[in-house]
Amino acid sequence: MLGYVARRLGFAVVSIAAVVVLTFLLVHLAPGEPMLGSADRRMVSPEVLARQRALFGLDRPLPVQFVRYAANLARGELGESFVLHRPVAAVIREALPNTLLLGAAALLLAVGLGLAVGVLQAARRHSLTDTLLGGATLALYSMPVFWLGLLLLLVFGEGLHWLPIGGMTDPAVHDLLPPLGRALDVARHLVLPAATLGLVQAAAFARFQRSALLESLGAEFVRAARARGLPERRVLLRHALRTALAPTLTLTGLSVPYFLAGSVLVESIFGWPGLGRVAYDAIFARDYNVIVATALIAGVLVALGNLLADVAVALADPRVRLDR
Amino acid sequence: MVIATTGDADVLLPPVTTVTTGINVSDLIFCRLAELKAGLNTVDDSGYRPVLARSWTHPDSLTIVFHLDPRARWQDGVPVRAADVVYTFGVYRDTVVNSPLAPFLEPIGTVTALDTLTVAFHFTHWYPEQLYDATYQMRILPRHLLDTIPDARLASAPFGRAPVGDGPYRFVRWEAGSAITLAADSGWFLGRPGIGRLVWRVTPDLATAVSELLGGEADAMEVIPAPGQLARVEASRGVRLVAYPSPFYAGIVFNQRRPLLASRDLRRALAMGLDRATIVRSVFGRYADVAVGATSPMQWIYSDSIRQLPYDTAAAARALDRMGWRAAAPGAVRRRNGAPLRFTLLVPTSSQVRQRAAVIAQDEWRRLGVDVRIEPLEFTVMERRTARGDFDAAFESRTIDPSPASLLQWWSPGSAGNIGAYDDPAFQTLTAAAMRQPTRAGAAPLWRRALEQLNADAPAVFLFSPRNEAAFSDRVDDVTIRPDSWLATVTTWRLRPGDAARGR
Amino acid sequence: MSPWRVAGRRFVRNRAAVAGAALVALLVLVAAVGPLCTGDPLAQPDPVRLQDRPPSGAHWLGTDPYSRDVLSRTVSAARVSLGIGVGAALLAVTLGTAVGLAAGVAGRRTDQLLMRGVDVAMALPRIFFLLAVFAVWEQAPPVAVALLIALTGWFQTSRIVRAEVLSLREADFVAAARALGVPEGRIARRHLLPHLAGPIIVSASLDVGNIILLEAGLSYLGLGIRPPTPTWGNMIMDGKDVLFSAPWVALAPGLALILTVVAFNLAGDGLRDALDPKARA
Repeated sequence: MLGYVARRLGFAVVSIAAVVVLTFLLVHLAPGEPMLGSADRRMVSPEVLARQRALFGLDRPLPVQFVRYAANLARGELGESFVLHRPVAAVIREALPNTLLLGAAALLLAVGLGLAVGVLQAARRHSLTDTLLGGATLALYSMPVFWLGLLLLLVFGEGLHWLPIGGMTDPAVHDLLPPLGRALDVARHLVLPAATLGLVQAAAFARFQRSALLESLGAEFVRAARARGLPERRVLLRHALRTALAPTLTLTGLSVPYFLAGSVLVESIFGWPGLGRVAYDAIFARDYNVIVATALIAGVLVALGNLLADVAVALADPRVRLDR
Repeated sequence: MVIATTGDADVLLPPVTTVTTGINVSDLIFCRLAELKAGLNTVDDSGYRPVLARSWTHPDSLTIVFHLDPRARWQDGVPVRAADVVYTFGVYRDTVVNSPLAPFLEPIGTVTALDTLTVAFHFTHWYPEQLYDATYQMRILPRHLLDTIPDARLASAPFGRAPVGDGPYRFVRWEAGSAITLAADSGWFLGRPGIGRLVWRVTPDLATAVSELLGGEADAMEVIPAPGQLARVEASRGVRLVAYPSPFYAGIVFNQRRPLLASRDLRRALAMGLDRATIVRSVFGRYADVAVGATSPMQWIYSDSIRQLPYDTAAAARALDRMGWRAAAPGAVRRRNGAPLRFTLLVPTSSQVRQRAAVIAQDEWRRLGVDVRIEPLEFTVMERRTARGDFDAAFESRTIDPSPASLLQWWSPGSAGNIGAYDDPAFQTLTAAAMRQPTRAGAAPLWRRALEQLNADAPAVFLFSPRNEAAFSDRVDDVTIRPDSWLATVTTWRLRPGDAARGR
Repeated sequence: MSPWRVAGRRFVRNRAAVAGAALVALLVLVAAVGPLCTGDPLAQPDPVRLQDRPPSGAHWLGTDPYSRDVLSRTVSAARVSLGIGVGAALLAVTLGTAVGLAAGVAGRRTDQLLMRGVDVAMALPRIFFLLAVFAVWEQAPPVAVALLIALTGWFQTSRIVRAEVLSLREADFVAAARALGVPEGRIARRHLLPHLAGPIIVSASLDVGNIILLEAGLSYLGLGIRPPTPTWGNMIMDGKDVLFSAPWVALAPGLALILTVVAFNLAGDGLRDALDPKARA
């Protein structure tokens, strides 16, 4: 098992390296330039722009730039952001935890709600509850995440005023609050974006759980347990759920790309200061170093997710570990 | 007071910051030697009021001597001294710092300290706006906190993320991507600011930012750019709009290097063929004015009565006929010697309003028999093409500052901003003469004629100048807005005591 | 009775699946001939007086800020969105099947090589790559969008196919064919492929929905297919600003989008239930 994980990790490293190289080439070869002069300000003179380019080494040939970048990367240096005038590492250090928080909350919601709904549907299969829940999960699963976000914002933020409309904290009072108050403030702001990100994935989990549970409910040993007179609920919860564990882990691992994609949209709509927004802004401003760094982080997250999925599959099916 | 903004600041160091929020915040932390008064008269000394400099004199035509106010202090207690001014000038001009404002400081030859509170600016030549250049472009930096940092590392130094200044507000905290907080300096030498705390709250999505404003989570917004969002604010209670002139005007600039557009008569006919009033009304509703020329109501050279080309499609049609551009049938594309009257208009995809206006203009020109193709381009790509002169017409938006010298920046031959290669001796003469007038009263008529010359030559069709609409909740009182910098007078604003739980 | 007939029977008995399939057929019909019946989606008849008009007799779904007819645009966008969705799904599935099949029947070394390539490719954060490419490539045609989405999304299919092939290889009928001297290639084509058809079809039909949503997300951000060519995503982007004054501009494409994805998901679910003998719900 350990050997399998080690091998997978090895592939992950290669993948991440490939991501870095590809992204670097992509941004540097693309037309357009870093927004060294801001669109807000009055016109920046060409001499100033040319000097900026030289200061950042952007006027050197591409291979030279790449070698410099790779050497820095090996030392752990991610370069400097052209737009923000600060080390990329600092930008990432501030933004990444926020995205991880959002992702974790969304994931918790997705797994928790998804499992619960899936179990409920399986328990009450073919009943009205099942049909209604099935319809709801289908609708949610088919909804674009930005649509759901706009909808939730309209209803809960503006319409009912139950929840704050944007941001991660209430800037006017946040620092005046005690630690518990501060945590609650963040939690309040976390609800809508996490719900937006998590509900769609919850629907996916629910759908999957329902069919997985129903499938395993038909299995021999479950029938045997039933024949032994165990109550339906116990059969369901103990036997069927256990077999559904590994696939859930797999699904979780494979949903990382979805959460990354969704975070770009959700962070934008709700003003959540996370990595998705940093990446989005950087891509439009052509802030090369930030773009490559965020691609790197994203690659690491995706690779970890895939690793989790692979491990889960290997746990369930020992044949896979032999990698043949 | 919570200000909703759609962009985070980049760095809080005046020579280097280029993003609007960064400029707004650092403007309240660092001071200028003197500030423009509300009328934005950049020429006469009476148009300025003292800030760091308590008074100033002009001992000769090439020198201004500033006497610093001895009460001015940095927020760590050290007094503001002439050495700070000298240091600041060095930083702004240093090519390693590469401040975008450096080119504007070129007429200043040297800055020397005569004693601890007296500093002299020596100019390379006389011109009426010496005081403007000496005061408007630079915000003074604390030498004792920065001179140990090599200029090359100034922009990325930690100071830029936790600055110490001498202005009415002190830096408190910056949560990247989220919020910037400033607190009033109650001991500020020019009087305690009316509002105790300012918080900039970053929300990238405009609709969400407006929602925050309407929901009471924010109290002010510098400008609401989209007509759809403006309608929302208007329809709500508890939030009001305050209009003020913007420093923008937009127009379709013609590239006179292209043989077709080198013809003055053709350009004039094109300008006369557009119903600018209708275009502005349908794209902006009430929220923009038709541009009277290469200026906006913010500048003192602006006047409603500047002579412009009339909207006269009949005259335009006649002029085109006279030039040999004939249409085979009404509504068909005009041709001359078989060649169609056609050109391409570049429009940046970043501006919805310019895209909409371009479509309407295209439609009106089509009815005149002119075939215009619209080419939407991404902003930086368009910039490169216009810089290279590789375009027929470009829908440009210009940012100007209070000084009329910005006309030269955009329309003088040889200036990088003159993308259409406009070159007219009459315009040169008028602007040169205007730049020699020592008073506003003397210069105004000459600038007016210069603007009228621009309109007559039609190097561009000057379309609109958006009206900035700032939004304020009812809690904010005594609001006045100086058009070039909306928070310039914030120290005189008041916040009505409101929700105690908000802790303001 | 052939397994296909059995599956067909099961499908038809599933009402939801039939509804989904019918809806898909309807949508395809609308996308195919709809634009011929509605007006010009790019026409801006009167940018001054006809902007943001509510639904009326002349414009059943109202007009947008550029005075374009929302109904025409929504119907036109169906062509783009469905085309990209179905096209990219088919392409991705074909690529995935080809690679998975090759890996499954090939020798150990080729298999390792291919699968390692797939592993590396799977670590690529798809959204970043697509964002970066389309941020730069302004006038990307729909074919390019479909191609790039497909090229970044076939990996999972290849793994599934490979796994299926590996398990089928040990099956009796394959051993028998080999014993009879049938060449490997023919075994792959005639014996393995039909068994793969089930999972492939299911994978493809569920993919369509996700791809449509992905493309909508991209065009909502202003990337991929840009205005004036209508896609549901960029129509919602246009309508976001006037959401309160002219809600129909964003509502029509949003509902059309959801409906389409629901239809494909229903049909896909039905196909999976019909073709996969284990999932007896």
